[in-house]
Amino acid sequence: MNNSVSRIITLTKRNIKEILRDPLSLIFTIALPLFMEILFYFIFHELTAQFEMKYLAPGIVVFSESFLTLFTGLLISLDRKSSFLTRLYVSKAKSYEFIFSYALSILPIALIQSILFFLVGGIFDTSMFSVGMVLGILLSILTSMFFIGTGILFGSICSEKSIGGISSIIITGESVLSGMWFPLEGIGNGMIAFMNALPFRNATILIQNMILGVNDTFNDLLLPLIIVLGYTVVMFIVAIIAFKNRMKEK
Amino acid sequence: MFAIKTVNLRKEYKDIVAVKDLNLEIEEGELFSLLGVNGAGKTTTIKMLSTLTSPTSGDAFIYDYSILKDQEKIKELIDISMQETAIARKLTVDENIEFYAELSGMKKDEIKEIKEYIYNSFNLDRVKNKQASKLSGGWQRKLSIALALVTKPKILFLDEPTLGLDVIARRELWKTIKELKKNMTIILTTHYMEEAEALSDRIGIMKDGVLLFVGTKEELYTKTKKDNIEDAFINIVSGGDLDE
Repeated sequence: MNNSVSRIITLTKRNIKEILRDPLSLIFTIALPLFMEILFYFIFHELTAQFEMKYLAPGIVVFSESFLTLFTGLLISLDRKSSFLTRLYVSKAKSYEFIFSYALSILPIALIQSILFFLVGGIFDTSMFSVGMVLGILLSILTSMFFIGTGILFGSICSEKSIGGISSIIITGESVLSGMWFPLEGIGNGMIAFMNALPFRNATILIQNMILGVNDTFNDLLLPLIIVLGYTVVMFIVAIIAFKNRMKEK
Repeated sequence: MFAIKTVNLRKEYKDIVAVKDLNLEIEEGELFSLLGVNGAGKTTTIKMLSTLTSPTSGDAFIYDYSILKDQEKIKELIDISMQETAIARKLTVDENIEFYAELSGMKKDEIKEIKEYIYNSFNLDRVKNKQASKLSGGWQRKLSIALALVTKPKILFLDEPTLGLDVIARRELWKTIKELKKNMTIILTTHYMEEAEALSDRIGIMKDGVLLFVGTKEELYTKTKKDNIEDAFINIVSGGDLDE
């Protein structure tokens, strides 16, 4: 096996073990969003269409992914704090191998989140079980990369103490600017334009449209996809630069 | 044969010169201690030699390999134990060793062999199934140093290896370092004078990035006309001003 691939696998295996042995992170990324999905459905679904499962479940999928920023950032900043990463930097492993391994070890959580929240949604609204759900799950892997990339960036530049605070900006941003928790009627055009320019609402719309159906391929699929992809690529480039610089000057 | 040779090695951080034109040769198989007060430039020197940070000017050679040009080759020859305990917290002791061994490209039978060696050298077998984060500070430090040996380096950098350890743990670690000394070149930084005295073949004393003295402890005593390392060290770094 190629040495680089072998090192990425070794690093990923280690990261996954660290993650699975930290129950708190699993509570935040899986238990809390699951609780919210069920609770908000029962309280609000008869009051407003916004909380019907076909809207709520995709929203929860993206909302839960925002916790991956906190999660990834914590993992990296703790590795930095303990000089664990500095030591590894004396090994033959390259920066991109570290970044790959962090992303690869978080992706299974994103996949579990997506499958779980869609399945639970499907229990309450069986019409959700469709090809759209499969596509939604697949696309949610892509949207999760934006939050993982953000986590890698935060983990590379912030201390483990400040990760919580700075990640909460992303979690709050996703929560508020995705528009999933409140109706958008009555909100000013300027605010809507702002929301549409950011990845949060686009990620939510993208996943929701997989369930609701795509009528206008460009506006319902391609545009939000391009926006989310664009932010993800930029975030990863900045994260890689920050990670490399930080490690080199450690 | 020299294991390390520095040529006008210099590191500047904005307005601070951390290491000033260091010229030093360390022989193969030597245990060389770098002594100095805080901010003397010891850790910066080790970081440059271990390719963790680039020098501002000058160069250093690890067995003829330049730290500027041959970083990949150098990484095959060295390992480092940092001042801070550098372990995977949620992995067991056994998993930590296996992880480092796998990362360095070892095969299964080599991993088994290196585990035996590490367990025998550091008595870590009694805690091998314990999660690293649940070990005492002394055991964590032991593991952290042990991990630097997984790659079987020819040169081992130990940055403040016994910092924060109690006296028993420190003496145990000294014993281990003395054993390691038989098989590799060791460069050690420390604040503890008695540690340098007990372990070193030669001592280097740094202050404000400048290497003020290099030699054996006997040469240090002769030069300073002192009969213990602490007084001799104080004499060197204070220029004789703090002599009693």
